[in-house]
Amino acid sequence: MTRHKVSLEEFHRMVEAGVFPEDSRLELVEGDLVEMSPIGKRHAAKVAKLTALFGPLVPQKAILFVQSPLVVGNSELYPDLALLKPRRDFYEEELPQGRDALLVVEVADTSLHYDLEVKLPLYAKAGVPEVWVVDLVRDRVHVFRKPQGEGETLGPGLKLAFLGVEISTEELL
Amino acid sequence: MLRYRFTAEEFHRMAEAGILPEDARVELVEGEIVTMSPVGKRHMAAVKRLMDLLFPLQQARKALLQVQDPLRLSPESEPQPDLTLLSYRENFYRDKVPEAEDALLVIEVADTSLDYDLTVKLPLYAKAGIPEVWVVDLVRDRVHVFRKPQGEGYGEAQALEEGELSVLGLKVPVKEVLP
Repeated sequence: MTRHKVSLEEFHRMVEAGVFPEDSRLELVEGDLVEMSPIGKRHAAKVAKLTALFGPLVPQKAILFVQSPLVVGNSELYPDLALLKPRRDFYEEELPQGRDALLVVEVADTSLHYDLEVKLPLYAKAGVPEVWVVDLVRDRVHVFRKPQGEGETLGPGLKLAFLGVEISTEELL
Repeated sequence: MLRYRFTAEEFHRMAEAGILPEDARVELVEGEIVTMSPVGKRHMAAVKRLMDLLFPLQQARKALLQVQDPLRLSPESEPQPDLTLLSYRENFYRDKVPEAEDALLVIEVADTSLDYDLTVKLPLYAKAGIPEVWVVDLVRDRVHVFRKPQGEGYGEAQALEEGELSVLGLKVPVKEVLP
């Protein structure tokens, strides 16, 4: 028995053909369709705050995708936030891919394990240059740079910076 | 991480929209699209023998014989048994995918798939109330017969290497089923 692996193309055609219920939140992870967990208020607030903080970068320095698709290899993930290379059409012609990303941020309350063990390796493989995983349970931010590297963990009292936007970890935790 | 479970309706919409490859041999098992293993010559021959042996039931309008077509067991499971004997219908099920309550007998022929047939599919058939299942084991040359579905299993189980099987009054010698 082998589970059928869903390709990116099949996934897009399923969405277009209206195969799934309107309200389904699905990502494609290495051929498997995965249901995303519902978002709690803390999680939603952090994403809103990050969106506001990075907002001034748009559209000159970056395009901001919030809980929107990012193609990484054969997978299509919906990171909480993705800063993408600027493009005049806001990626209307083609979904952004790993190589278009400047920074990906995942906010994790219940999903930390999934974010670190499943999604992070996919971002790394697709060459996403920097990933932040905001751990709301242990109050720390994991920062990963250089897609082969180990990453570092920042607790409260430190500052993160990206494209000139400075964010203290307190704001995120 | 929660894997998405397809419903049979979604599965059909995908097939109608031509999303799954034409030649895909896939079935829906508990919301998962499963690729069926390719069948060998002996498997094919066993299915043909069974068709031949059971055909008199169709000629007598006692049942319809369905070969490797879908049988809907639940909103999330729609396997394609090697053979299904369905209650006879004048319109040959033009208007619906046959469901568990339409099935009189399900037969699976197993060469490499015995474990899957016995541990995954059999419980599905039992749960859906399929009254009788035969699993033809081509490796050990015997036929498992299951009757009286109870929960996820069958109250009556036999493994026959010889003798006769019987369905709707038709006698089928075990030796003739095993090619």
